[in-house]
Amino acid sequence: MFYLRYLWAELTRRWGKTLTISLGLAMASAVIIVIISVSQSLSTAQDKVLNPLQNVGTDIMVSRTLAQNNLGSIDATTRDEVMADNRITTDFSKLGNPGDAFSYDTFLPGSMLTFASSETEKIDQSLVKEYAGGLVLNVVHQEGTIPKLTAEIETGGQSIGFSRTFEMSDTDRQAFADAQAKAMADLKAQGIDPNSEAGRQALRDALPRPTQTVNGEVVVPKEIIHQEIGTFATDTTTNNYTLAGVDTAKTNIGLILPDQIVEGRYLQNSGEVVSTRAFAQKKNYSLNGTIKIGDKEFTLVGIVEPKLYTMTADLYVSLPDAQQLAGRDGKVNVLLVKATNADNVTAAGENVAALFTGATVTDASDTAKEVTGSLVNAASLTNKFIGVTSIIVIGAAFIIVSLLTVLSVNKRIREIGTLKAIGWGNTRIIRQIISENIVLGVLGAILAIGLAFGTIAILNHSNISLSATVASADANNIFGMARRAFGGQQSTAVTGTTTSVPLHINFSYLVLAIGSAVAILGSIVAGALAAIKASKMKPQEAFRNLE
Amino acid sequence: MDNPTIIKTKDVVKRYRQGDKDIYAANSITMEVRKGDFLAIIGPSGSGKSTLLQLIGGLDRPTGGQIEINGVDIAKISDRKLTEVRRNQMGFIFQNFNLIPTLTAAQNVEAVISKRSRQDRARVRDALKQVGLEQRANHLPSLLSGGEQQRVAIARALINDPDIILADEPTGNLDSATGEGIIGLLSDLNKNRHKTVILISHSDYIKKYASKIVEIKDGKISDRS
Repeated sequence: MFYLRYLWAELTRRWGKTLTISLGLAMASAVIIVIISVSQSLSTAQDKVLNPLQNVGTDIMVSRTLAQNNLGSIDATTRDEVMADNRITTDFSKLGNPGDAFSYDTFLPGSMLTFASSETEKIDQSLVKEYAGGLVLNVVHQEGTIPKLTAEIETGGQSIGFSRTFEMSDTDRQAFADAQAKAMADLKAQGIDPNSEAGRQALRDALPRPTQTVNGEVVVPKEIIHQEIGTFATDTTTNNYTLAGVDTAKTNIGLILPDQIVEGRYLQNSGEVVSTRAFAQKKNYSLNGTIKIGDKEFTLVGIVEPKLYTMTADLYVSLPDAQQLAGRDGKVNVLLVKATNADNVTAAGENVAALFTGATVTDASDTAKEVTGSLVNAASLTNKFIGVTSIIVIGAAFIIVSLLTVLSVNKRIREIGTLKAIGWGNTRIIRQIISENIVLGVLGAILAIGLAFGTIAILNHSNISLSATVASADANNIFGMARRAFGGQQSTAVTGTTTSVPLHINFSYLVLAIGSAVAILGSIVAGALAAIKASKMKPQEAFRNLE
Repeated sequence: MDNPTIIKTKDVVKRYRQGDKDIYAANSITMEVRKGDFLAIIGPSGSGKSTLLQLIGGLDRPTGGQIEINGVDIAKISDRKLTEVRRNQMGFIFQNFNLIPTLTAAQNVEAVISKRSRQDRARVRDALKQVGLEQRANHLPSLLSGGEQQRVAIARALINDPDIILADEPTGNLDSATGEGIIGLLSDLNKNRHKTVILISHSDYIKKYASKIVEIKDGKISDRS
């Protein structure tokens, strides 16, 4: 077939043109493939993040969560309950002797007030298909040296001496003179010589006592006083992390699920703990190692990657273990509920919420609203502009392809004029040019797929991650207050308020097909338009165009 | 007895509009060409001789008048019919050779073949042999000299065995010796294969090869002999 040989000759002997047009097509199509793939991947990532409840088989979460900043407006009973729930009392005297090292954990439900899990028996089974309770606790971990809590004060032992002279008053002096005169008169009357011994004795006895000097000494008794000190120096450090009690009997609904375990295994027995990877790395925990929680030692049996939602914790233990550690037997502070069907979600939420005072219901849309961060921003941006962007990119791609093709055809105007002059019909000319453009389009599509794969691989290799942040109910509320009040150091909690979502771009065959179609169809349409225009020229016009 | 008329023009006009002025590239051209003629159209540059050749060859359409090729007025037929006339009855030779640069000499000749057959390659080989380029069949135009390229163009013009060969200043881009060779080749085709040759030149030396000469000046025939 001559025209195939012509086609081959045209493409191979003008390889520069072939390469330029194919690359132009490829780049335009690759941009389309990459943009659509990035957009779809962002949407997928966003869907996962924005609908986290679905990831744990849940339609709604029920909790008695206090909203931030409204502690002042809650009723006295609830406030007392909050304060009681979150009071940290560390009695050093029970932890050992002063100077001993100590480690002490306090388990606080924070702003998520507890309620009796037995109440769930009243749940309407026609509305709720399944539910699981959980106990999410903030663990305030203190360690340091037990301080000396009392002061010893020795008092007393001082000697107090005194000496004082008292002077006689005028009245006393007159009385003394009168007494002396009377005594002398009495001695004379009795005939006793006042200078004799008996006379002097009788005179001394008759006279009042003269002025006296008093000397004394007081000694304060010694005493040791033991007194409690209001403030004391301590090297105690306070760290916080979150611990969740999981209903391990439920395998398809719960705070974490067995399929979220990425290493090791799921919780099976009491005394076992599962950690998030981030927390395990931060604390250098290793699988099958021991973690002390409260006064109990747990074995780390698994690493979990929980899906993002407001109830993520750093460590997970069985619900009874958590209740025991916190001293809250039979209590939970979150219920994950799966409705019997999608229409019953609201009714199920209301049914469960009615069982507990102050219960709030969180559904997927609520959690979606709480998610912020670059992922959401990027996805929103993409969602907003994807339509416009795609049209612009496809339009730009088409213009590039058309320009390249038209330029290419225009450069061959003399050739086309010659072909017409020597007897080629319009159909034959158009067929030849379109055939060339089909091949160019296919080449462009193949290159586009290669370029797109390369770009996507580079992007995936670049470890671009987008963050999604959930404003945790407790992040700055009760836990924060407790921490500050106790003068603790910065929290080490890794509690999942922020999830970094690596942007992994996937491509679909449909996207590849769209990108390829743009290259091929663009090339064909542009080639056809240019060929039709060129073929309509009279041969002489074609020659004249070049002159 | 005279040979039959193969080309007949009557009052052929080609008018261009240039600003608010009409330019007549061909102005009331009436002439006849008989089969086997070697017609030289001569005249200075811009006289309208190329326009006349293009009108006769169906590369352009006249503003007015008749152009009959073998009794068919090509001024009135459709583009498709006109293409057929060009393909089957005419062979073109251009000043710039107008070879397809990406095709070899043989492929350039083959490109014109209207009815494909198994003998195509042999026909192409024969055509190239006639112009002395059998050995250069697989060369691209860029590897051929100007004279060789024009010979390929002549082979291309001959491949469909047309009655008429139209040559628009075929020696314009060649040195005189090569040019003489090309004219000699055309003359040979005229004499030995009875091809009707219409050749344009602005040189007088062509007169010694031509059986008829038409001189054009300002779009009109100023002289004929």
